[in-house]
Amino acid sequence: MLAYTAKRLLTLIPTLLAATILVFLFVHLIPGDPAAILLGDTATPEEVAQLSAELGFDRPLWIQYFLWLGNVLQGDLGTSIFFREPVTAVIGSGAETSILLASMTMVWIIILGLPIGVLSATKHGTWIDQITSSGAMLAASVPTFWLGLYLIMIFSVTLGWFPSSGFPSLSDEGGITNLRYLILPSLTLAAPNAALIVRLVRASMLDVAREDHVRTARAKGLHPARVAIKHVFRNALIAVAAAFGFTFAALISEAVVTETVFSLPGIGRLVVQSILRRDYPVIQGVILVIVVLYMVINLLVDLAYARLDPRVSLK
Amino acid sequence: MNIINFLRNAFAGRKLATVGFIWLCFILLAAIFAPLIAPFDPLEIDPVGRLAEPGLPNLFGTDHFGRDTFSRAIYGARMTVIIGVGSVVVALVCGGLIGMLSAYFTRLGHFLMRGVDVLMAFPALLMALVLITLLERSVFNTILVIGIVYATTTARILYGMTLKLKGEVFVDAAVCSGAGHSSILFRHILPNLVSPLLVQASFIFAFAQLQAAALDFLGLGLPPEVPSWGNMLSEERIYVTRAPWLLIYPGLLIVLSVFSMNLVGDALRDSIDPRFKDDIAGV
Repeated sequence: MLAYTAKRLLTLIPTLLAATILVFLFVHLIPGDPAAILLGDTATPEEVAQLSAELGFDRPLWIQYFLWLGNVLQGDLGTSIFFREPVTAVIGSGAETSILLASMTMVWIIILGLPIGVLSATKHGTWIDQITSSGAMLAASVPTFWLGLYLIMIFSVTLGWFPSSGFPSLSDEGGITNLRYLILPSLTLAAPNAALIVRLVRASMLDVAREDHVRTARAKGLHPARVAIKHVFRNALIAVAAAFGFTFAALISEAVVTETVFSLPGIGRLVVQSILRRDYPVIQGVILVIVVLYMVINLLVDLAYARLDPRVSLK
Repeated sequence: MNIINFLRNAFAGRKLATVGFIWLCFILLAAIFAPLIAPFDPLEIDPVGRLAEPGLPNLFGTDHFGRDTFSRAIYGARMTVIIGVGSVVVALVCGGLIGMLSAYFTRLGHFLMRGVDVLMAFPALLMALVLITLLERSVFNTILVIGIVYATTTARILYGMTLKLKGEVFVDAAVCSGAGHSSILFRHILPNLVSPLLVQASFIFAFAQLQAAALDFLGLGLPPEVPSWGNMLSEERIYVTRAPWLLIYPGLLIVLSVFSMNLVGDALRDSIDPRFKDDIAGV
Protein backbone atom coordinates (compact mmCIF):
# COMPACT_ATOMS: atom_id res chain seq x y z
CA MET A 1 0.00 0.00 0.00
CA LEU A 2 2.83 2.40 0.93
CA ALA A 3 4.71 1.59 -2.27
CA TYR A 4 1.51 2.08 -4.27
CA THR A 5 0.83 5.45 -2.62
CA ALA A 6 4.37 6.60 -3.35
CA LYS A 7 4.11 5.45 -6.95
CA ARG A 8 0.81 7.25 -7.48
CA LEU A 9 2.14 10.45 -5.89
CA LEU A 10 5.23 10.33 -8.09
CA THR A 11 3.16 9.93 -11.27
CA LEU A 12 0.89 12.78 -10.19
CA ILE A 13 3.70 15.35 -10.11
CA PRO A 14 4.68 15.29 -13.81
CA THR A 15 1.01 15.24 -14.87
CA LEU A 16 0.28 18.17 -12.59
CA LEU A 17 3.25 20.11 -13.95
CA ALA A 18 2.22 19.40 -17.54
CA ALA A 19 -1.33 20.54 -16.76
CA THR A 20 -0.02 23.80 -15.28
CA ILE A 21 2.03 24.36 -18.45
CA LEU A 22 -1.15 24.00 -20.53
CA VAL A 23 -3.03 26.40 -18.26
CA PHE A 24 -0.11 28.83 -18.47
CA LEU A 25 0.03 28.61 -22.26
CA PHE A 26 -3.71 29.32 -22.47
CA VAL A 27 -3.18 33.11 -22.23
CA HIS A 28 -0.37 32.92 -24.80
CA LEU A 29 -2.58 31.09 -27.32
CA ILE A 30 -4.95 34.05 -27.48
CA PRO A 31 -3.84 36.30 -30.35
CA GLY A 32 -2.34 39.59 -29.14
CA ASP A 33 0.00 40.90 -26.46
CA PRO A 34 -0.49 38.73 -23.33
CA ALA A 35 -0.05 41.68 -20.97
CA ALA A 36 -2.74 43.63 -22.85
CA ILE A 37 -5.00 40.57 -22.76
CA LEU A 38 -4.56 40.19 -19.00
CA LEU A 39 -5.31 43.87 -18.38
CA GLY A 40 -8.30 44.23 -20.69
CA ASP A 41 -9.27 46.90 -23.20
CA THR A 42 -9.17 49.84 -20.81
CA ALA A 43 -5.48 49.47 -19.89
CA THR A 44 -3.03 52.28 -20.71
CA PRO A 45 0.23 51.52 -22.54
CA GLU A 46 2.15 52.29 -19.33
CA GLU A 47 0.15 49.71 -17.36
CA VAL A 48 0.73 47.13 -20.11
CA ALA A 49 4.46 47.83 -20.07
CA GLN A 50 4.56 47.59 -16.28
CA LEU A 51 2.73 44.22 -16.12
CA SER A 52 4.82 42.98 -19.03
CA ALA A 53 7.99 43.70 -17.03
CA GLU A 54 6.48 42.31 -13.82
CA LEU A 55 5.51 38.96 -15.37
CA GLY A 56 8.62 38.90 -17.55
CA PHE A 57 6.79 38.84 -20.88
CA ASP A 58 9.93 40.19 -22.56
CA ARG A 59 11.90 37.16 -21.38
CA PRO A 60 11.94 33.59 -22.76
CA LEU A 61 8.73 31.59 -22.38
CA TRP A 62 10.15 29.07 -19.91
CA ILE A 63 11.30 31.83 -17.53
CA GLN A 64 7.82 33.37 -17.78
CA TYR A 65 6.37 29.99 -16.85
CA PHE A 66 8.48 29.71 -13.70
CA LEU A 67 7.70 33.31 -12.72
CA TRP A 68 4.00 32.54 -13.14
CA LEU A 69 4.29 29.23 -11.27
CA GLY A 70 6.14 31.00 -8.45
CA ASN A 71 3.29 33.50 -8.16
CA VAL A 72 0.70 30.71 -8.25
CA LEU A 73 2.46 28.80 -5.48
CA GLN A 74 2.35 31.97 -3.38
CA GLY A 75 -1.40 32.19 -3.98
CA ASP A 76 -1.22 34.99 -6.55
CA LEU A 77 -3.37 34.18 -9.58
CA GLY A 78 -3.39 37.72 -10.97
CA THR A 79 -6.08 40.39 -10.99
CA SER A 80 -9.53 40.15 -12.55
CA ILE A 81 -10.10 42.61 -15.40
CA PHE A 82 -13.80 42.88 -14.65
CA PHE A 83 -13.85 42.95 -10.85
CA ARG A 84 -10.49 44.71 -10.35
CA GLU A 85 -9.90 42.27 -7.49
CA PRO A 86 -7.41 39.44 -6.98
CA VAL A 87 -8.52 36.32 -8.87
CA THR A 88 -8.21 34.24 -5.69
CA ALA A 89 -10.80 36.48 -3.97
CA VAL A 90 -13.16 36.23 -6.97
CA ILE A 91 -12.90 32.44 -7.00
CA GLY A 92 -13.22 32.30 -3.21
CA SER A 93 -16.53 34.17 -3.36
CA GLY A 94 -18.00 31.41 -5.55
CA ALA A 95 -16.58 28.54 -3.51
CA GLU A 96 -19.34 28.34 -0.89
CA THR A 97 -22.10 27.94 -3.49
CA SER A 98 -20.15 25.42 -5.55
CA ILE A 99 -19.16 23.24 -2.60
CA LEU A 100 -22.66 23.25 -1.11
CA LEU A 101 -24.23 22.52 -4.50
CA ALA A 102 -21.85 19.62 -5.15
CA SER A 103 -22.41 18.21 -1.64
CA MET A 104 -26.21 18.36 -1.89
CA THR A 105 -26.02 16.81 -5.33
CA MET A 106 -23.98 13.93 -3.90
CA VAL A 107 -26.64 13.40 -1.23
CA TRP A 108 -29.32 13.08 -3.95
CA ILE A 109 -27.12 10.77 -5.99
CA ILE A 110 -26.66 8.49 -2.99
CA ILE A 111 -30.29 8.41 -1.83
CA LEU A 112 -31.64 8.00 -5.37
CA GLY A 113 -28.89 6.05 -7.11
CA LEU A 114 -28.05 3.35 -4.56
CA PRO A 115 -31.52 1.97 -3.71
CA ILE A 116 -32.75 2.06 -7.30
CA GLY A 117 -29.57 0.35 -8.47
CA VAL A 118 -29.89 -2.38 -5.83
CA LEU A 119 -33.56 -2.86 -6.72
CA SER A 120 -32.72 -3.13 -10.40
CA ALA A 121 -29.99 -5.71 -9.76
CA THR A 122 -31.94 -7.87 -7.30
CA LYS A 123 -34.95 -7.92 -9.65
CA HIS A 124 -32.66 -8.63 -12.59
CA GLY A 125 -34.54 -9.61 -15.75
CA THR A 126 -38.00 -8.68 -14.44
CA TRP A 127 -40.18 -5.78 -15.54
CA ILE A 128 -38.98 -3.77 -12.51
CA ASP A 129 -35.42 -4.07 -13.77
CA GLN A 130 -36.47 -3.10 -17.29
CA ILE A 131 -38.27 0.00 -16.08
CA THR A 132 -35.53 1.16 -13.72
CA SER A 133 -32.70 0.47 -16.19
CA SER A 134 -34.40 2.20 -19.11
CA GLY A 135 -35.57 4.97 -16.79
CA ALA A 136 -31.99 5.55 -15.70
CA MET A 137 -30.84 5.67 -19.29
CA LEU A 138 -33.60 8.12 -20.13
CA ALA A 139 -32.59 10.34 -17.19
CA ALA A 140 -29.01 10.30 -18.47
CA SER A 141 -30.27 11.48 -21.88
CA VAL A 142 -31.95 14.68 -20.67
CA PRO A 143 -30.05 17.96 -21.15
CA THR A 144 -29.63 19.35 -17.62
CA PHE A 145 -30.63 22.89 -18.52
CA TRP A 146 -33.89 21.69 -20.04
CA LEU A 147 -34.69 19.67 -16.92
CA GLY A 148 -33.78 22.68 -14.77
CA LEU A 149 -36.08 25.00 -16.72
CA TYR A 150 -39.02 22.63 -16.28
CA LEU A 151 -38.31 22.12 -12.57
CA ILE A 152 -38.41 25.93 -12.22
CA MET A 153 -41.67 26.02 -14.18
CA ILE A 154 -43.33 23.36 -12.03
CA PHE A 155 -41.93 23.85 -8.52
CA SER A 156 -41.17 27.59 -8.49
CA VAL A 157 -43.58 29.26 -10.89
CA THR A 158 -46.66 27.03 -10.63
CA LEU A 159 -46.45 25.53 -7.14
CA GLY A 160 -44.24 28.17 -5.52
CA TRP A 161 -42.50 25.61 -3.30
CA PHE A 162 -38.90 26.60 -3.94
CA PRO A 163 -37.13 29.80 -5.04
CA SER A 164 -36.29 29.82 -8.75
CA SER A 165 -32.88 31.44 -8.75
CA GLY A 166 -29.98 32.88 -6.77
CA PHE A 167 -28.43 31.73 -3.52
CA PRO A 168 -27.80 33.96 -0.49
CA SER A 169 -24.89 32.80 1.65
CA LEU A 170 -25.60 30.63 4.70
CA SER A 171 -24.18 33.45 6.81
CA ASP A 172 -26.84 35.83 5.47
CA GLU A 173 -30.34 36.20 6.86
CA GLY A 174 -32.17 32.89 6.78
CA GLY A 175 -29.11 30.86 7.76
CA ILE A 176 -29.39 27.15 7.07
CA THR A 177 -32.87 27.54 5.54
CA ASN A 178 -31.17 29.22 2.58
CA LEU A 179 -30.29 25.70 1.47
CA ARG A 180 -33.80 25.58 -0.05
CA TYR A 181 -32.37 27.69 -2.89
CA LEU A 182 -30.16 24.74 -3.80
CA ILE A 183 -32.80 21.98 -3.77
CA LEU A 184 -33.91 22.33 -7.41
CA PRO A 185 -30.38 22.97 -8.74
CA SER A 186 -28.95 19.98 -6.89
CA LEU A 187 -31.78 17.73 -8.13
CA THR A 188 -31.15 18.91 -11.69
CA LEU A 189 -27.44 18.21 -11.44
CA ALA A 190 -28.06 14.89 -9.68
CA ALA A 191 -30.44 13.42 -12.28
CA PRO A 192 -27.96 12.32 -14.97
CA ASN A 193 -25.30 11.38 -12.40
CA ALA A 194 -27.68 9.35 -10.23
CA ALA A 195 -28.72 7.58 -13.42
CA LEU A 196 -25.11 6.57 -14.09
CA ILE A 197 -24.78 5.33 -10.49
CA VAL A 198 -27.94 3.23 -10.89
CA ARG A 199 -26.44 1.58 -13.94
CA LEU A 200 -23.09 1.12 -12.24
CA VAL A 201 -24.57 -0.39 -9.05
CA ARG A 202 -26.63 -2.75 -11.19
CA ALA A 203 -23.70 -3.77 -13.38
CA SER A 204 -21.26 -4.33 -10.52
CA MET A 205 -23.81 -6.24 -8.41
CA LEU A 206 -24.54 -8.53 -11.35
CA ASP A 207 -20.79 -9.03 -11.77
CA VAL A 208 -20.26 -9.93 -8.12
CA ALA A 209 -23.34 -12.18 -8.09
CA ARG A 210 -21.59 -14.48 -10.57
CA GLU A 211 -18.65 -15.09 -8.21
CA ASP A 212 -18.04 -18.30 -6.29
CA HIS A 213 -18.38 -16.89 -2.79
CA VAL A 214 -21.94 -15.82 -3.59
CA ARG A 215 -22.84 -19.30 -4.78
CA THR A 216 -21.38 -20.68 -1.55
CA ALA A 217 -23.42 -18.22 0.51
CA ARG A 218 -26.57 -19.28 -1.32
CA ALA A 219 -25.68 -22.96 -1.06
CA LYS A 220 -25.34 -22.80 2.71
CA GLY A 221 -28.93 -21.58 2.85
CA LEU A 222 -28.57 -17.88 3.67
CA HIS A 223 -31.62 -15.73 3.15
CA PRO A 224 -31.56 -14.19 -0.37
CA ALA A 225 -31.85 -10.67 1.06
CA ARG A 226 -28.83 -11.32 3.29
CA VAL A 227 -26.83 -12.61 0.34
CA ALA A 228 -27.85 -9.60 -1.74
CA ILE A 229 -26.87 -7.05 0.89
CA LYS A 230 -23.96 -8.60 2.75
CA HIS A 231 -22.24 -10.63 0.05
CA VAL A 232 -23.11 -8.90 -3.19
CA PHE A 233 -23.85 -5.26 -2.42
CA ARG A 234 -20.90 -4.76 -0.06
CA ASN A 235 -18.46 -6.06 -2.64
CA ALA A 236 -20.09 -4.12 -5.44
CA LEU A 237 -19.81 -0.99 -3.33
CA ILE A 238 -16.04 -0.86 -3.88
CA ALA A 239 -16.44 0.10 -7.53
CA VAL A 240 -19.37 2.36 -6.68
CA ALA A 241 -17.41 4.20 -3.98
CA ALA A 242 -14.73 5.01 -6.55
CA ALA A 243 -17.39 6.29 -8.93
CA PHE A 244 -18.73 8.60 -6.20
CA GLY A 245 -15.31 10.19 -5.94
CA PHE A 246 -14.96 10.72 -9.68
CA THR A 247 -18.50 12.06 -9.87
CA PHE A 248 -17.83 14.58 -7.11
CA ALA A 249 -14.70 15.78 -8.91
CA ALA A 250 -16.61 16.11 -12.18
CA LEU A 251 -19.58 17.89 -10.58
CA ILE A 252 -17.56 21.04 -10.02
CA SER A 253 -17.27 21.61 -13.76
CA GLU A 254 -20.59 20.00 -14.73
CA ALA A 255 -22.26 22.58 -12.47
CA VAL A 256 -21.45 25.23 -15.12
CA VAL A 257 -24.78 24.70 -16.87
CA THR A 258 -26.90 24.24 -13.74
CA GLU A 259 -25.47 27.33 -12.05
CA THR A 260 -26.27 29.32 -15.20
CA VAL A 261 -29.89 28.09 -15.34
CA PHE A 262 -30.52 28.90 -11.68
CA SER A 263 -28.31 32.04 -11.63
CA LEU A 264 -26.26 30.69 -8.74
CA PRO A 265 -23.17 32.68 -7.72
CA GLY A 266 -20.85 29.66 -8.02
CA ILE A 267 -17.54 28.94 -9.72
CA GLY A 268 -19.20 27.34 -12.75
CA ARG A 269 -21.21 30.43 -13.65
CA LEU A 270 -18.08 32.49 -13.02
CA VAL A 271 -16.27 30.56 -15.79
CA VAL A 272 -19.03 31.17 -18.32
CA GLN A 273 -19.40 34.84 -17.47
CA SER A 274 -15.64 35.32 -17.52
CA ILE A 275 -15.49 33.74 -20.97
CA LEU A 276 -18.24 36.06 -22.22
CA ARG A 277 -16.51 39.05 -20.56
CA ARG A 278 -13.08 37.98 -21.85
CA ASP A 279 -11.79 38.14 -18.27
CA TYR A 280 -8.78 35.92 -19.03
CA PRO A 281 -7.04 36.04 -15.61
CA VAL A 282 -10.20 34.64 -13.98
CA ILE A 283 -10.64 31.96 -16.68
CA GLN A 284 -7.02 30.90 -16.21
CA GLY A 285 -7.34 30.88 -12.42
CA VAL A 286 -10.56 28.87 -12.36
CA ILE A 287 -9.21 26.31 -14.82
CA LEU A 288 -6.11 25.89 -12.69
CA VAL A 289 -8.09 25.47 -9.47
CA ILE A 290 -10.57 23.00 -11.01
CA VAL A 291 -7.88 20.91 -12.72
CA VAL A 292 -5.74 20.66 -9.59
CA LEU A 293 -8.79 19.82 -7.48
CA TYR A 294 -9.93 17.24 -10.04
CA MET A 295 -6.52 15.55 -10.07
CA VAL A 296 -6.14 15.54 -6.29
CA ILE A 297 -9.64 14.11 -5.75
CA ASN A 298 -8.97 11.46 -8.38
CA LEU A 299 -5.73 10.53 -6.62
CA LEU A 300 -7.50 10.26 -3.26
CA VAL A 301 -10.18 8.10 -4.86
CA ASP A 302 -7.55 5.79 -6.33
CA LEU A 303 -5.82 5.46 -2.98
CA ALA A 304 -9.10 4.82 -1.18
CA TYR A 305 -9.95 2.25 -3.84
CA ALA A 306 -6.64 0.45 -3.31
CA ARG A 307 -7.27 0.45 0.43
CA LEU A 308 -10.80 -0.97 0.02
CA ASP A 309 -9.70 -3.56 -2.51
CA PRO A 310 -6.10 -4.75 -1.86
CA ARG A 311 -6.08 -6.54 -5.24
CA VAL A 312 -5.75 -3.16 -6.99
CA SER A 313 -2.34 -2.17 -5.61
CA LEU A 314 -0.91 -5.59 -6.42
CA LYS A 315 -1.66 -5.27 -10.13
CA MET B 1 -16.93 -9.96 -38.10
CA ASN B 2 -19.56 -9.11 -40.67
CA ILE B 3 -21.16 -5.77 -39.75
CA ILE B 4 -24.68 -6.69 -40.91
CA ASN B 5 -24.60 -9.86 -38.81
CA PHE B 6 -23.23 -7.90 -35.87
CA LEU B 7 -26.11 -5.41 -36.08
CA ARG B 8 -28.69 -8.17 -36.53
CA ASN B 9 -27.40 -10.00 -33.45
CA ALA B 10 -27.29 -6.82 -31.43
CA PHE B 11 -30.92 -5.89 -32.03
CA ALA B 12 -32.40 -9.38 -31.85
CA GLY B 13 -34.98 -9.46 -29.03
CA ARG B 14 -34.42 -5.82 -28.04
CA LYS B 15 -37.60 -3.99 -28.88
CA LEU B 16 -36.74 -0.66 -27.27
CA ALA B 17 -33.32 -0.50 -28.94
CA THR B 18 -34.90 -1.39 -32.29
CA VAL B 19 -37.41 1.43 -31.88
CA GLY B 20 -34.50 3.73 -31.04
CA PHE B 21 -32.66 2.63 -34.16
CA ILE B 22 -35.73 3.31 -36.32
CA TRP B 23 -36.15 6.75 -34.72
CA LEU B 24 -32.52 7.55 -35.57
CA CYS B 25 -33.17 6.48 -39.16
CA PHE B 26 -36.07 8.98 -39.25
CA ILE B 27 -33.78 11.72 -37.93
CA LEU B 28 -31.26 10.86 -40.63
CA LEU B 29 -33.93 11.02 -43.34
CA ALA B 30 -35.21 14.34 -41.98
CA ALA B 31 -31.66 15.66 -42.03
CA ILE B 32 -31.02 14.60 -45.61
CA PHE B 33 -34.36 15.73 -47.03
CA ALA B 34 -34.84 18.79 -44.78
CA PRO B 35 -35.49 21.23 -47.67
CA LEU B 36 -38.22 18.93 -49.03
CA ILE B 37 -39.92 18.23 -45.68
CA ALA B 38 -39.80 21.66 -44.05
CA PRO B 39 -42.90 23.64 -45.08
CA PHE B 40 -41.24 27.04 -44.45
CA ASP B 41 -37.81 28.63 -44.61
CA PRO B 42 -36.31 28.07 -41.11
CA LEU B 43 -34.71 31.54 -41.17
CA GLU B 44 -37.69 33.50 -42.52
CA ILE B 45 -38.79 36.14 -40.02
CA ASP B 46 -42.48 37.07 -39.75
CA PRO B 47 -43.07 39.85 -37.19
CA VAL B 48 -46.86 39.55 -37.47
CA GLY B 49 -47.04 35.83 -36.72
CA ARG B 50 -44.82 35.81 -33.61
CA LEU B 51 -45.36 33.18 -30.90
CA ALA B 52 -48.25 31.54 -32.78
CA GLU B 53 -49.64 28.46 -31.08
CA PRO B 54 -49.12 25.01 -32.61
CA GLY B 55 -51.71 24.22 -35.28
CA LEU B 56 -52.02 24.89 -39.00
CA PRO B 57 -50.04 25.97 -40.91
CA ASN B 58 -47.34 26.06 -38.17
CA LEU B 59 -47.39 22.51 -36.74
CA PHE B 60 -45.12 23.34 -33.80
CA GLY B 61 -46.08 27.05 -33.61
CA THR B 62 -43.71 29.95 -34.24
CA ASP B 63 -40.92 31.52 -32.19
CA HIS B 64 -40.42 35.13 -31.08
CA PHE B 65 -39.18 36.08 -34.54
CA GLY B 66 -42.21 34.42 -36.12
CA ARG B 67 -40.04 31.64 -37.56
CA ASP B 68 -41.74 28.28 -38.09
CA THR B 69 -40.65 25.96 -35.23
CA PHE B 70 -41.42 22.77 -37.17
CA SER B 71 -39.18 23.80 -40.07
CA ARG B 72 -36.45 24.83 -37.64
CA ALA B 73 -36.76 21.47 -35.88
CA ILE B 74 -36.36 19.64 -39.22
CA TYR B 75 -33.26 21.66 -40.05
CA GLY B 76 -32.16 21.07 -36.45
CA ALA B 77 -32.07 17.35 -37.26
CA ARG B 78 -29.54 18.23 -39.93
CA MET B 79 -27.34 20.03 -37.37
CA THR B 80 -27.73 17.07 -35.00
CA VAL B 81 -26.43 14.67 -37.61
CA ILE B 82 -23.63 17.01 -38.71
CA ILE B 83 -22.44 17.67 -35.14
CA GLY B 84 -22.80 14.03 -34.13
CA VAL B 85 -21.08 12.50 -37.14
CA GLY B 86 -18.43 15.23 -37.19
CA SER B 87 -17.53 14.78 -33.52
CA VAL B 88 -17.45 11.01 -33.91
CA VAL B 89 -15.12 11.27 -36.91
CA VAL B 90 -12.76 13.71 -35.16
CA ALA B 91 -12.76 11.67 -31.94
CA LEU B 92 -12.29 8.28 -33.61
CA VAL B 93 -9.67 9.38 -36.14
CA CYS B 94 -7.55 11.42 -33.69
CA GLY B 95 -8.14 9.24 -30.64
CA GLY B 96 -8.04 6.01 -32.62
CA LEU B 97 -4.73 6.81 -34.31
CA ILE B 98 -3.14 7.94 -31.04
CA GLY B 99 -4.38 4.88 -29.19
CA MET B 100 -3.42 2.35 -31.85
CA LEU B 101 -0.01 3.84 -32.60
CA SER B 102 0.74 4.16 -28.87
CA ALA B 103 -0.02 0.53 -28.21
CA TYR B 104 1.88 -0.66 -31.28
CA PHE B 105 5.01 1.47 -30.96
CA THR B 106 5.64 1.18 -27.23
CA ARG B 107 8.21 3.96 -26.95
CA LEU B 108 6.13 6.49 -28.85
CA GLY B 109 3.16 5.29 -26.83
CA HIS B 110 4.83 6.08 -23.54
CA PHE B 111 5.14 9.68 -24.68
CA LEU B 112 1.73 10.04 -26.35
CA MET B 113 -0.28 8.38 -23.60
CA ARG B 114 1.25 10.69 -20.96
CA GLY B 115 -0.05 13.56 -23.07
CA VAL B 116 -3.49 11.95 -23.13
CA ASP B 117 -3.32 11.58 -19.33
CA VAL B 118 -2.62 15.29 -18.99
CA LEU B 119 -5.56 16.21 -21.23
CA MET B 120 -7.80 13.85 -19.25
CA ALA B 121 -6.97 15.86 -16.13
CA PHE B 122 -9.31 18.48 -17.59
CA PRO B 123 -13.00 17.64 -16.99
CA ALA B 124 -14.85 17.29 -20.35
CA LEU B 125 -17.07 20.37 -20.24
CA LEU B 126 -14.25 22.55 -18.84
CA MET B 127 -11.94 21.46 -21.65
CA ALA B 128 -14.61 22.26 -24.22
CA LEU B 129 -15.06 25.70 -22.64
CA VAL B 130 -11.31 26.38 -22.66
CA LEU B 131 -10.99 25.41 -26.31
CA ILE B 132 -14.04 27.40 -27.36
CA THR B 133 -12.58 30.50 -25.67
CA LEU B 134 -9.66 30.31 -28.07
CA LEU B 135 -11.85 29.81 -31.15
CA GLU B 136 -14.72 31.59 -32.88
CA ARG B 137 -18.29 30.32 -32.64
CA SER B 138 -18.86 28.17 -35.70
CA VAL B 139 -20.21 24.77 -36.67
CA PHE B 140 -16.74 23.50 -37.52
CA ASN B 141 -15.21 24.69 -34.24
CA THR B 142 -18.00 23.14 -32.18
CA ILE B 143 -17.35 19.81 -33.89
CA LEU B 144 -13.61 20.20 -33.39
CA VAL B 145 -13.93 21.01 -29.69
CA ILE B 146 -16.32 18.16 -28.87
CA GLY B 147 -14.32 15.76 -31.02
CA ILE B 148 -11.07 16.61 -29.23
CA VAL B 149 -12.69 16.18 -25.81
CA TYR B 150 -13.79 12.63 -26.67
CA ALA B 151 -10.61 11.82 -28.57
CA THR B 152 -8.83 11.45 -25.23
CA THR B 153 -11.17 8.74 -23.90
CA THR B 154 -11.18 7.04 -27.31
CA ALA B 155 -7.37 7.01 -27.33
CA ARG B 156 -7.25 5.37 -23.94
CA ILE B 157 -9.83 2.73 -24.84
CA LEU B 158 -8.23 1.87 -28.17
CA TYR B 159 -4.81 1.76 -26.50
CA GLY B 160 -6.00 -1.02 -24.20
CA MET B 161 -7.71 -2.95 -26.99
CA THR B 162 -4.77 -2.73 -29.39
CA LEU B 163 -2.42 -3.91 -26.64
CA LYS B 164 -4.60 -6.99 -26.17
CA LEU B 165 -4.75 -7.71 -29.91
CA LYS B 166 -1.01 -7.19 -30.30
CA GLY B 167 -0.40 -10.25 -28.12
CA GLU B 168 -2.63 -12.49 -30.23
CA VAL B 169 -1.26 -15.28 -32.40
CA PHE B 170 -2.59 -13.86 -35.67
CA VAL B 171 -0.40 -10.79 -35.20
CA ASP B 172 2.65 -12.99 -34.65
CA ALA B 173 1.69 -14.88 -37.78
CA ALA B 174 1.47 -11.64 -39.76
CA VAL B 175 4.90 -10.57 -38.47
CA CYS B 176 6.36 -13.94 -39.44
CA SER B 177 4.93 -13.72 -42.93
CA GLY B 178 6.77 -10.45 -43.35
CA ALA B 179 3.92 -7.94 -43.06
CA GLY B 180 4.94 -4.30 -42.56
CA HIS B 181 3.85 -2.13 -39.66
CA SER B 182 1.05 -0.35 -41.53
CA SER B 183 -0.23 -3.65 -42.91
CA ILE B 184 -0.33 -5.20 -39.43
CA LEU B 185 -1.98 -2.16 -37.89
CA PHE B 186 -4.58 -1.42 -40.52
CA ARG B 187 -5.20 -4.77 -42.22
CA HIS B 188 -4.84 -7.16 -39.32
CA ILE B 189 -5.57 -5.23 -36.10
CA LEU B 190 -8.05 -2.57 -37.27
CA PRO B 191 -10.69 -4.96 -38.69
CA ASN B 192 -10.88 -6.58 -35.22
CA LEU B 193 -11.62 -3.18 -33.70
CA VAL B 194 -14.56 -2.33 -35.97
CA SER B 195 -17.33 -3.50 -33.66
CA PRO B 196 -15.93 -1.88 -30.47
CA LEU B 197 -15.38 1.30 -32.52
CA LEU B 198 -19.02 1.20 -33.57
CA VAL B 199 -20.07 0.99 -29.91
CA GLN B 200 -17.74 3.83 -28.99
CA ALA B 201 -19.10 5.90 -31.89
CA SER B 202 -22.68 5.51 -30.70
CA PHE B 203 -21.86 6.70 -27.17
CA ILE B 204 -19.78 9.62 -28.45
CA PHE B 205 -22.67 10.59 -30.73
CA ALA B 206 -25.02 10.66 -27.73
CA PHE B 207 -22.59 12.59 -25.49
CA ALA B 208 -21.81 15.02 -28.29
CA GLN B 209 -25.50 15.98 -28.59
CA LEU B 210 -25.71 16.82 -24.90
CA GLN B 211 -22.42 18.72 -24.92
CA ALA B 212 -23.38 20.67 -28.05
CA ALA B 213 -26.75 21.55 -26.55
CA ALA B 214 -25.06 22.68 -23.32
CA LEU B 215 -22.60 24.86 -25.27
CA ASP B 216 -25.48 26.36 -27.29
CA PHE B 217 -27.32 27.08 -24.06
CA LEU B 218 -24.30 28.84 -22.55
CA GLY B 219 -24.04 30.96 -25.70
CA LEU B 220 -20.71 29.39 -26.59
CA GLY B 221 -21.75 26.80 -29.17
CA LEU B 222 -23.10 27.20 -32.69
CA PRO B 223 -23.66 30.75 -33.99
CA PRO B 224 -27.11 31.91 -32.76
CA GLU B 225 -28.70 32.04 -36.24
CA VAL B 226 -28.00 28.35 -36.93
CA PRO B 227 -31.20 26.33 -36.42
CA SER B 228 -30.09 23.65 -33.94
CA TRP B 229 -32.23 22.16 -31.17
CA GLY B 230 -29.86 23.55 -28.54
CA ASN B 231 -30.03 27.06 -30.00
CA MET B 232 -33.83 26.86 -30.22
CA LEU B 233 -33.99 26.09 -26.49
CA SER B 234 -31.41 28.70 -25.64
CA GLU B 235 -33.06 31.53 -27.59
CA GLU B 236 -36.64 30.86 -26.57
CA ARG B 237 -36.15 30.01 -22.91
CA ILE B 238 -37.41 33.41 -21.72
CA TYR B 239 -40.76 32.64 -23.40
CA VAL B 240 -41.20 29.43 -21.40
CA THR B 241 -44.34 30.68 -19.63
CA ARG B 242 -45.91 32.47 -22.63
CA ALA B 243 -45.12 29.86 -25.26
CA PRO B 244 -44.24 26.55 -23.59
CA TRP B 245 -44.29 24.66 -26.94
CA LEU B 246 -41.12 26.46 -27.97
CA LEU B 247 -39.21 24.49 -25.33
CA ILE B 248 -41.12 21.22 -25.37
CA TYR B 249 -40.51 20.19 -28.99
CA PRO B 250 -36.76 20.82 -29.33
CA GLY B 251 -36.17 19.44 -25.81
CA LEU B 252 -38.09 16.24 -26.52
CA LEU B 253 -36.25 15.84 -29.82
CA ILE B 254 -32.90 16.03 -28.01
CA VAL B 255 -34.00 13.61 -25.28
CA LEU B 256 -35.42 11.07 -27.75
CA SER B 257 -32.37 11.18 -30.00
CA VAL B 258 -29.83 10.88 -27.17
CA PHE B 259 -31.91 8.15 -25.52
CA SER B 260 -32.13 6.22 -28.80
CA MET B 261 -28.42 6.52 -29.40
CA ASN B 262 -27.71 5.28 -25.86
CA LEU B 263 -30.07 2.32 -26.36
CA VAL B 264 -28.39 1.46 -29.64
CA GLY B 265 -24.95 1.75 -28.03
CA ASP B 266 -26.05 -0.48 -25.18
CA ALA B 267 -27.40 -3.12 -27.53
CA LEU B 268 -24.22 -3.05 -29.60
CA ARG B 269 -22.02 -3.26 -26.51
CA ASP B 270 -23.84 -6.29 -25.15
CA SER B 271 -23.20 -8.23 -28.32
CA ILE B 272 -19.57 -7.24 -28.57
CA ASP B 273 -16.57 -9.53 -28.43
CA PRO B 274 -16.14 -10.45 -24.73
CA ARG B 275 -12.42 -9.59 -24.89
CA PHE B 276 -13.27 -5.90 -25.03
CA LYS B 277 -16.23 -5.79 -22.64
CA ASP B 278 -14.25 -4.17 -19.82
CA ASP B 279 -12.74 -1.50 -22.04
CA ILE B 280 -15.86 0.10 -23.45
CA ALA B 281 -17.16 3.33 -21.95
CA GLY B 282 -20.74 4.03 -20.90
CA VAL B 283 -21.43 1.80 -17.91
